[in-house]
Amino acid sequence: MMKLKGSTLPQSSLHSNYFIVWSEVVKNLKFLLAYPVVFIFWAVFPVFWFIPFILQGEAFVGGLQSQSFADIAGTPEFIPFVVLGAILNSFVLTSLYGMGESIRREAYRGTLDYILSSPCNKAFILIGKALSESISSTIFAFTQLAICILFFGIELTLGIIIPVIFIVILLILGLYGMALILAALSLRYKQAHDMAHTMEYVFSVFSPVRYPLASLPLWGQILGKLLPLTYALIAVRSIMLLKQNLAMLYLEVLMLLIIDAVAIFLGFYLFNWMEERTKKSGTISHF
Amino acid sequence: MVYSEESDVYSIQTIDLSKRFTKKKHRGIFGFLRKDRKKEKPKSKNSDIVVALDHVNVKVRPGELFGLLGPNGAGKTTLVKCLSTILIPDKGTAVVNGFDIRKQTSMVRASLGMVVGGERTLYWKLTARDNLMYFASLYKMPRKQAKRRVEELLEVMQLSDRGDERLEDYSTGMRQKIAIIRALLHDPPILLLDEPTLGLDPTFSRQIRNQIRELAEKQGKTVLLTTHYMEEADQLCDRIAVINNGKVIAVDTSDNLKALVKETELVEIACYNAPSDIRAHIKIHCPDIEMVKLIHGDEAKGTPSRIKLIGGNAEEHISTVMDMLRQKNVRLCSLNIGVPTLEDVFIKLTGAKLTESGHGG
Repeated sequence: MMKLKGSTLPQSSLHSNYFIVWSEVVKNLKFLLAYPVVFIFWAVFPVFWFIPFILQGEAFVGGLQSQSFADIAGTPEFIPFVVLGAILNSFVLTSLYGMGESIRREAYRGTLDYILSSPCNKAFILIGKALSESISSTIFAFTQLAICILFFGIELTLGIIIPVIFIVILLILGLYGMALILAALSLRYKQAHDMAHTMEYVFSVFSPVRYPLASLPLWGQILGKLLPLTYALIAVRSIMLLKQNLAMLYLEVLMLLIIDAVAIFLGFYLFNWMEERTKKSGTISHF
Repeated sequence: MVYSEESDVYSIQTIDLSKRFTKKKHRGIFGFLRKDRKKEKPKSKNSDIVVALDHVNVKVRPGELFGLLGPNGAGKTTLVKCLSTILIPDKGTAVVNGFDIRKQTSMVRASLGMVVGGERTLYWKLTARDNLMYFASLYKMPRKQAKRRVEELLEVMQLSDRGDERLEDYSTGMRQKIAIIRALLHDPPILLLDEPTLGLDPTFSRQIRNQIRELAEKQGKTVLLTTHYMEEADQLCDRIAVINNGKVIAVDTSDNLKALVKETELVEIACYNAPSDIRAHIKIHCPDIEMVKLIHGDEAKGTPSRIKLIGGNAEEHISTVMDMLRQKNVRLCSLNIGVPTLEDVFIKLTGAKLTESGHGG
């Protein structure tokens, strides 16, 4: 059979792949700016989320420091502990609800068929989605951090920013691997929001967001050690509150790297598998 | 357009393409408690399977404007989705621009531009330019080339001055034009257009049809057009495949298809107040008429209903039928003999009219 226009079919290049990622980022950020209320909500909401825990903790121990808290957390300062937990946890929320639901949102808009029927490698679209979520998450985190520096006495020096950013990048990679798994499941099972909600609670209960890991029963601690947020929280708190350096946190960094690799591999594998399955069942654009 | 019948070069060729869907039964949240649950099981096994495509074999030649005509649920969209690799067929395959849809998906995708699902498939919160630049990136177009192409196509569609407006401020027809521009961005040799004029007003429909005709005639694009509008298929298509219940039942030019219904075989009576049992009465009194169809018009708005008598020298029975209608106080408007439309062809081939056949999907 003769090809009609085979010679003019587009070829992948570094530049064209970069253009796909860039276009995806621009598209998602323009969507974010098209709904300013959502932007404000995500920037401010986590601050309101942790205030009740600070007040509750203060009511229990009769102040903002506790010796028994220091015994298990390594720091007597309750407020910085919870504030850092909330800020890092906001990356979990934006990745699960943003990236995890992004595929379902494309199906709602009716654009998923066009994305999946385009000749480009879908990995670049997913990278673009992850990158735009990372940008928005970081903007939200910095807003929260600014509020915390102003009102809750959190100290931030230039010396600790770089290792903290390094840990946050490792956290984001793992989270997007997990969000990709969620996106893959939403191709088949559609209810991404409910799955994201469930995962959000798994993170907030089994990672040391509001309390140290030692507060959990043994089985809970084991489960918590499978989550990237646990290692990121331990590392960031150690850097910011206990003034440790990255060399002292090699175990947390190693665990984050392992979780990232496994989650990203599983995410892409599952996404391709679910895409194939839904193309067979004819439910790919259902929502 | 003139083609060599011997030519074996096809832009699209489907080979026994088949697709079935299994429909899930929704019993409600307490359905598992129903006593008849077990009894229904073996019965439902067959009834829940919908044959969307049944060994479809079509060949579309380069530069041809090929129509797929059928009612809703006939399998037109399923065929388009299989060709565009969104759906994986159960059996058979298709070759698009020389590439197999099962094995060479990326090359098939790059060869196609499609308009499926119309205006809902764009980002309404983004401007036309933003939408088009985004979709251009998915086709691996370099940024500068994409920009040039977007401007060129916006100009052709006379939307240049509104390119920076969000699509939510566009009319349905304008959004459909953007959907067509999107399909043309990477200058594909083949276009799949699924009901491109659905829901458009007559002015926009005409503009879109002219555009489609130009794409085939001036730019040499191969166009596979699915529609359930007979006039559209009639006006635009070089050849038409009639599809019903997943099967292609005829493929030919519009004129040749119409020739399937002989002049003496077709009588159409336009009238008001036709009783719903008129079909049965005509069938009893004129048993050698093969088919009697009553197509209800919107009589309140002045569109009469139509009674169609097809086959078996229908012309000879006109006086009998007219007497019958007068007795039933039916108000007659007009009588046409022997001017078949594609709908008559469809009725003749399937026994159903275009608006009543099909089973979803």
